[in-house]
Order: sequence, then C-alpha cells, then structure tokens
Amino acid sequence: MSYEDPGTSSPPEMPLLLAAELQDHLMTVTNDLERLQRLLDDACQALMEGFHTSAGQLGEVIDLGHEITPHLTEVRQTLFKAVTALQFQDMATQLIAHTNKRLRNCADQIARDALGDDDPDGAAVVEDGPLKPNPVTQDEMDAGSVELF
Amino acid sequence: MHSILAVDDSASMRQMVSFTLKSAGYNVIEAVDGQDALEKAGGRSFDLVLTDQNMPRMDGISLTKKLRESAQFKSTPILILTTESSDQMKQAGRAAGATGWLVKPFDPNKLIEVIQKVIR
Repeated sequence: MSYEDPGTSSPPEMPLLLAAELQDHLMTVTNDLERLQRLLDDACQALMEGFHTSAGQLGEVIDLGHEITPHLTEVRQTLFKAVTALQFQDMATQLIAHTNKRLRNCADQIARDALGDDDPDGAAVVEDGPLKPNPVTQDEMDAGSVELF
Repeated sequence: MHSILAVDDSASMRQMVSFTLKSAGYNVIEAVDGQDALEKAGGRSFDLVLTDQNMPRMDGISLTKKLRESAQFKSTPILILTTESSDQMKQAGRAAGATGWLVKPFDPNKLIEVIQKVIR
C-alpha cells in the first residue's frame, strides 16, 4: 500500500487510523517511561537512606576525632563505591527525560500532521523536542573522564 | 579548612558530592543551580567551585562566566562536573574560564585527588 499522492510533490500522508494507532503507542511508551522514572526514584531513595545512615555514622566517628582505623578506611572506600554507582539515578533521570520529550514531540507532530487541527481556537500544540542531542552518552557505570585545562 | 561551593540541581548528586568532600575534610556549601550559587557566592569567598552544567535558571558555563567577572573569583578553581562529554561543550567551558571538566559518574577518590591538585 502506498501513501504517496502522485498528483502533488507534498509529503505522503499517513492514514488516520495508522496515525492514531502510532500516536497511541507513543503515548503508552511515554507513560511507561514516567512509571519507570517513579520506580527508579523509589528504589534510589531507599538506597540513599541506607547510604546516609552509614555515611552519617562514619561522619560521627570522624567528627569525634577518633583514629581512622584500617576498618573505617575500608568502610569509607565501600561507601565511595556506592557513590559512583548511585549516580546512575541522576544519569538515568536525564536520559529518560530527554527520550520522553523526543517521544512526546513525535506524538504531537503525528497528531498535528495526520489528524489535523480540531481545536477551533488555534493550531494544535506541539510540545518542543529536545534542542540538544542527548547529554548522557555513557554506556556503563565506569567513572567518567577528568580533563584539567 | 578549605571551603567548596558545590552546585547541582539534583539533591542526590549534592548529597554524594557533599559526603565525598566532607569525608576528605572540606567545608561544603551547597547550591541548587547557578543563580543560587551566585547568591551564595556574593559576599564570601570559596577555595573552589564545583558545578554541574545542565541546571534550571542558570547553567554551569554561565555561572563560570559570571563568577569570572568578579575579582573575588578571578583565580578560584572552577570545576564543571557533568554528564556532558562532547568536545564542543568542554571547549565552551574552557572559554568561559573553567579550570577543568569532569564527566559523571565521578569516582570519589579521583575527585578528591583533582581537588587537592587544583586548590593551592
């Protein structure tokens, strides 16, 4: 099945039913991403609470001026490893927000271009897509690079 | 005790940066974005500024430019700690007057090492 109109040079039009279905899928995905974000927030909040309890206890020992024993040094290094891993939430949040914005922009454009403008007061609202490429380019949880100028 | 201004819009990132720096003996003041950092920087000096790049109201590069306009922060080390890793962004940070560019996630030991190196 071809969607091209041979009589004009305008872009091919998408059948309404297909456009509606595609928009529906995109909205479902964006809702799922928002749910994923909430799950991630809940999980990381629980992890952060555990982290803070341990970090607070270590801080109290340091503040009291007690000797930093090899055991405490080991505890601190374990917490440092958790610090690197817990930054996953911040990176994942940025990645989800960026992807969500891109998907919503696609869904809005489909609605505007294929389904037409059913708003009598004006043009259909198309949410802006991200202006920049995704800032999160990391593929794994290794620590990032350091560059001094 | 050296004082560090730590700027990030993510509460969890601020907490992890603070824990790392405090455990290394630094005094840490937190700010939630560039605008908040400028307000906290006014009227007092810091030995180092560690800032995120992408933040509401004012980003890290704009904050760096603003701080460099002030005589008080002309030679203060400013490190940008961000998920952004493109050369273009790094060059923009350098042109704004940043001392260094650190890509998240950070390794606490490495962060402390870099800070010790740039604070004189």
